[in-house]
Amino acid sequence: MFDYTFQWKQALARLPKMLDGAVVTMEVAVLSMLLGIALAILLTLFRQSGSRPLKAIATTWVEIARNTPALFQIYMAHFGIASFGIHFSPFTSLLIGITFNNAGYLAENFRGALKAIPDTQTRAGRSLGMTPVQSFRYIVMPQMLRISFLPMTNQMVWAILMTSLGVTVGMNMDLYGVTQDLNALTFRTFELFAIAGVIFYVITKIITLGARLIAMRLFRY
Amino acid sequence: MNKFTLPAALLAVTAVAGTAAQADKLDDVISSGKLRCAVVLDFPPMGMRDENNEPIGFDVDYCNDLAAALGVEAEIVETPFPERIPALMSGRVDVGVASTSDTLERAKTVGFTVPYFAFEMAVTANDETGIDSFEAMKGHTVGAVAGTYEAIALEEFVNEWGEGSTFRPYQTQADVFLALSQGQLDATVSTSTVAQANVKSGNFEGISVVGTAPFDIDYVGLFAKRDEYGFLNYLDLFVNQQVRTGRYEELYEKWIGGDVPSLSVPGVYR
Repeated sequence: MFDYTFQWKQALARLPKMLDGAVVTMEVAVLSMLLGIALAILLTLFRQSGSRPLKAIATTWVEIARNTPALFQIYMAHFGIASFGIHFSPFTSLLIGITFNNAGYLAENFRGALKAIPDTQTRAGRSLGMTPVQSFRYIVMPQMLRISFLPMTNQMVWAILMTSLGVTVGMNMDLYGVTQDLNALTFRTFELFAIAGVIFYVITKIITLGARLIAMRLFRY
Repeated sequence: MNKFTLPAALLAVTAVAGTAAQADKLDDVISSGKLRCAVVLDFPPMGMRDENNEPIGFDVDYCNDLAAALGVEAEIVETPFPERIPALMSGRVDVGVASTSDTLERAKTVGFTVPYFAFEMAVTANDETGIDSFEAMKGHTVGAVAGTYEAIALEEFVNEWGEGSTFRPYQTQADVFLALSQGQLDATVSTSTVAQANVKSGNFEGISVVGTAPFDIDYVGLFAKRDEYGFLNYLDLFVNQQVRTGRYEELYEKWIGGDVPSLSVPGVYR
């Protein structure tokens, strides 16, 4: 029982606006990924450190990030933090929410990667006269990032898709937000969301293919 | 009578019946014994839920009246604003009783009845901002519920005002008023009924209704599939009868109160 006449012309006329939205979506995803990786390395170091408070911070972060919906995390970044009188724009709230999520998941990926690197690597570094920090930075971390490279691209794809949750915090510049705005205006729901779906698909496909090319180049043995 | 005559005759009868009885939506509703209405339940007092989580409100009553007129049972299907059209097009609902503004742009997609309700738009502001009128919103961060008439109109104004003014759409009316009372939004435009209901509710502190918005009167119609003339025709007459019999006034008094807005535009037929 689906009778609906598709009017692609009406929807395609709005394509430039949607592509502008796609650029914003990419911006959010890339920024959240860069910040997320930096924070995840920090969290990994916290977990490696002997300090209990630092460990507790890292564990809490990872637990919340992995075991609550991304929607909740983004909503809290906007409405939750605002109840303490701190106001973030929708863009910032979305960025904080996704970064929080990314950092949590990536920290867990890094932990798995660290487990795959034998202790002997660190010991070899130490016996060459490196400090613990140096052996982590020059021996362990490069291997850790290499092992978790594909999970990282996975998280990047997630970051792209998670931007669609921005509409809950008033985001209307990203691809999903723009699509929803246009939908309200025209009621051409199916055409607009079909186009948005294709754009999302193309973006994530480019990212996964790009990542594979980079991996081929970076990880030649 | 040979043994082929009876089946052949039956076939002929079904063939004739098949071509003659093109059941349209109106027939479908009557024969199914059920009328499924898309109603937005996040839009007091048009649609909301009572303490027992049962849907109530002007639109809910209106759907029940319509079902009673058709002699069928009403089923309220909760649909958030952005999901009204998908719900209709995928056949999950028969009619939208969802306070839907009858813009020309939208009428290219769905069929609207004559207006069954009319809204006036009110400006609600956070008390700390000192906004006291619609014009005073210029240069501030304002917002409304995504996908509504007032959101579309307000965004146009914000674009015109230019630098300094920001527009933010939120998903629900509750989120808009939460953001407003938190100070994330300085002011909002909503239907005056919603504004009054939310300010009175006491759920949101530090906000008050400060004026009206200079938008055209927001007439809302019932909607159904564009090509279901028989059904749309029935709905038009139903809206007319609701006014004629005084039921519209009665429902208005029950849920909103005050002067009943006129549903006709002077000087033109519809």
